[in-house]
Amino acid sequence: MAHAGTLDIKNLSKQYRVNDAALPVLDGISLSIRSGEFVSIVGTSGCGKSTLLRLLIGLEGDYKGEILLDGQHIVGTSLDRGIVFQEHRLFPWLNVEQNIAVGVLNAPGGDGTKKKAVQEHIALVGLKGFEAAYPHQLSGGMSQRVAIARALVNRPDVLLLDEPFGALDAMTRGHLQQELERIWRAEGTTAILVTHDVEEAVYLGDRVVVMQPLPGRIRRIVDVPLARPRDRSAAAFATIKDDVMSEFIATPQSALSDR
Amino acid sequence: MSTTSSTTTCRIDLRGWVLPLTLLALWWALTAAGWVNTKLIVPPGNVLHVAATTLSDAAFWQGTLFSVTRDVSGFIVGALGGVALGSLLGASRWADRLIGPSFHTMRQISLFAWLPLLSTWFGYGELAKLVFISLSTLYPVALGAFEGVRGVTRAHLEVAKVYRFTRVQLLFRLILPAAAPQIATGLTLGLVCAWVATIGAEFLLANWGNGLGNIIIKGRSTFNVELIIVGMLAIGLVGTVLNRIAARLEAHALRRQGRRA
Amino acid sequence: MSASIDDPSVFAARAAVHGKQQLAVLLNTARVVLGAIAQRAVFVAAGLVLPALIVLLWWTAAEHRWVPEQLLPAPTLVWQTLRELWASGDLHAHLWFSASRVAWSLLIGGSVGLLLGFGMGLTHTLRAYLYPSFNVVAQFPVLGWVPLLIIFAGIDEALKISAISIAVVVPVTINTLKGIANIPRPLLEVARVYRFSLLQVLWRVVLPAAAPSLFTGLRQAVMQAWLSLVFVELLASSEGIGYLIVWGRQLSQPDLVVAGMVVVGAVGVLLDLALRWLESRLQGWRRGAF
Repeated sequence: MAHAGTLDIKNLSKQYRVNDAALPVLDGISLSIRSGEFVSIVGTSGCGKSTLLRLLIGLEGDYKGEILLDGQHIVGTSLDRGIVFQEHRLFPWLNVEQNIAVGVLNAPGGDGTKKKAVQEHIALVGLKGFEAAYPHQLSGGMSQRVAIARALVNRPDVLLLDEPFGALDAMTRGHLQQELERIWRAEGTTAILVTHDVEEAVYLGDRVVVMQPLPGRIRRIVDVPLARPRDRSAAAFATIKDDVMSEFIATPQSALSDR
Repeated sequence: MSTTSSTTTCRIDLRGWVLPLTLLALWWALTAAGWVNTKLIVPPGNVLHVAATTLSDAAFWQGTLFSVTRDVSGFIVGALGGVALGSLLGASRWADRLIGPSFHTMRQISLFAWLPLLSTWFGYGELAKLVFISLSTLYPVALGAFEGVRGVTRAHLEVAKVYRFTRVQLLFRLILPAAAPQIATGLTLGLVCAWVATIGAEFLLANWGNGLGNIIIKGRSTFNVELIIVGMLAIGLVGTVLNRIAARLEAHALRRQGRRA
Repeated sequence: MSASIDDPSVFAARAAVHGKQQLAVLLNTARVVLGAIAQRAVFVAAGLVLPALIVLLWWTAAEHRWVPEQLLPAPTLVWQTLRELWASGDLHAHLWFSASRVAWSLLIGGSVGLLLGFGMGLTHTLRAYLYPSFNVVAQFPVLGWVPLLIIFAGIDEALKISAISIAVVVPVTINTLKGIANIPRPLLEVARVYRFSLLQVLWRVVLPAAAPSLFTGLRQAVMQAWLSLVFVELLASSEGIGYLIVWGRQLSQPDLVVAGMVVVGAVGVLLDLALRWLESRLQGWRRGAF
């Protein structure tokens, strides 16, 4: 079930204007993502990782550089690129099934196919039986699963995840990381995850992109050549995790200095 | 008197009945003993008698129907206009800047002050009353719609953008459902205002036509206090029924979203 | 040899650079502030567009007699009427009547409302006895009482003040009740820890905490009072602003009717603004309180 979905980011820069002064948020980001790859992006607050994601999904524009999806420049939002936000952002007046159906509202295809896709994805995220439940009746973890189903139901080429488990408790987070991994493997979509949790990044990513703040730049890219599903207690896992962590435990001065 | 602690799970608080029942008893006692001018403070018995007569009079029911019809028609017109206006002001920053100040200022003119002018333009008939009732409904509904539409979160608007909602889809699948609770509140308030406006219009635009208000006016002019009281009770009852219906609908609209009124 | 900071030329150069930076900051601030003022001005102007258009339309319609004079008075005529009313002192007289009615009703209705609200809010027993009846009566529109009141009180001042007082009692009671019921428990517990006497609790905790709701009650009461005043004066009065409007109607002088409406609206706006200003002055601490 491989998709196209190669993403090329070339020398991406963005700045915000605050009271006539330019605030650089991203500076010269270049990244190539293969089809079906899972890339994790880690960084502290202010490193621009969320801005990067918003540029990729098309909710923000006005940047320098190029973003190419399968060789085409991206323009605004598109059903080819799905996103899961940190808040589930479900519509409170729709039940689970209807919320997921929002994802295929404007997708091509007949009603029958769409209905089938919605049902498949409800099962995929493990919420069979909850089709008629409303968001206020669901836990945080379940709501996020609905959001994931909604993002995947129209089979996008790229799935973006903006700190999707940040608002959940630690145990739910761990469980959902596993679920996400399983779902991703089933769908084969290219995925980009932004997180400040290093363990999550290493657990899920084929590569971990470490970003540094002010302005946001790519500091280093760490490969994670471990077999899936990953064992968090394995020595190899810990080594890679420590390797990534070492980028952050450095003193503030060295973190800000140019490399 | 009963204590607050009780072993039964379903406890009806009877203390609320003490005051009205006492007053009722007092009323009856005073009139029976002849201590008050029974022309003014009429005995409850007489009121019941007149009530029975009125309720069996077809003209009364016709009048009530007229009043309620006026109320509902005016309400519907005012509600539709209010939702449209409020949504427009809430959705478009520029509409709010252009129309908003005028709208909020006009709101300050006591509604009843409009009646003489309306009667100059539309006479004392149905049209004037309908226009007045619609106007009374328009303001609370528009305010509710305004707040509801304004309150649609950026987070949800971004989701709509990601899934490429068309303008029509945006309006009917996001904005209106999201604003529904506040619109419902506005509609409830509008219903109350509409009923007050109906009765007020019937008082002030009296044309000896039909309606509950006219019944009261008749009572007043013939110094039939019993009739006035019966009319007042009828007005209160209809008002309460309308309020209950509106509250039910509002609770239903809120419940689906898991919010409490 | 490198220049040291004591070197006068270096000092002068540094001062010049510093001065330039200061100037740049100043100009930038000025630009931002002016920009904000200009933006504000544009918004205010935008708000005036619609009224200006309406007045223009009105004037044209009257000028070209699209609508007969009996229906639509010319704006200039209305303005003239207003000025005459002002000059002759008639306007003051009528406003005085209306204002005094509102004032008395606020006093009477407000006191009753405060008593009821405090009583029901502070003691559960009173609430149990009084609230159900109050609730029923509150739902009944004020103007429904008027015909009955007319029987009992005639059509003099007593009628008007009693009718408007009824209109005032409801919002004052409800908001007082709400204000007291919503006093945060934590604050009351602090009072218990520091062993406040009853008077201290009332004065130092209850009153300040309930003040915002009390103010809302006052605001709503004033608005309701004004609304009911107009109704009562339209129905049965021989002086006051409402009477002015009815009089104009009966004499088929729509300019008088519209002039009266303008005054009603103006007073309403002024009252609202005054109350909001008062509220902001007294409630400054609310911002960061809870």
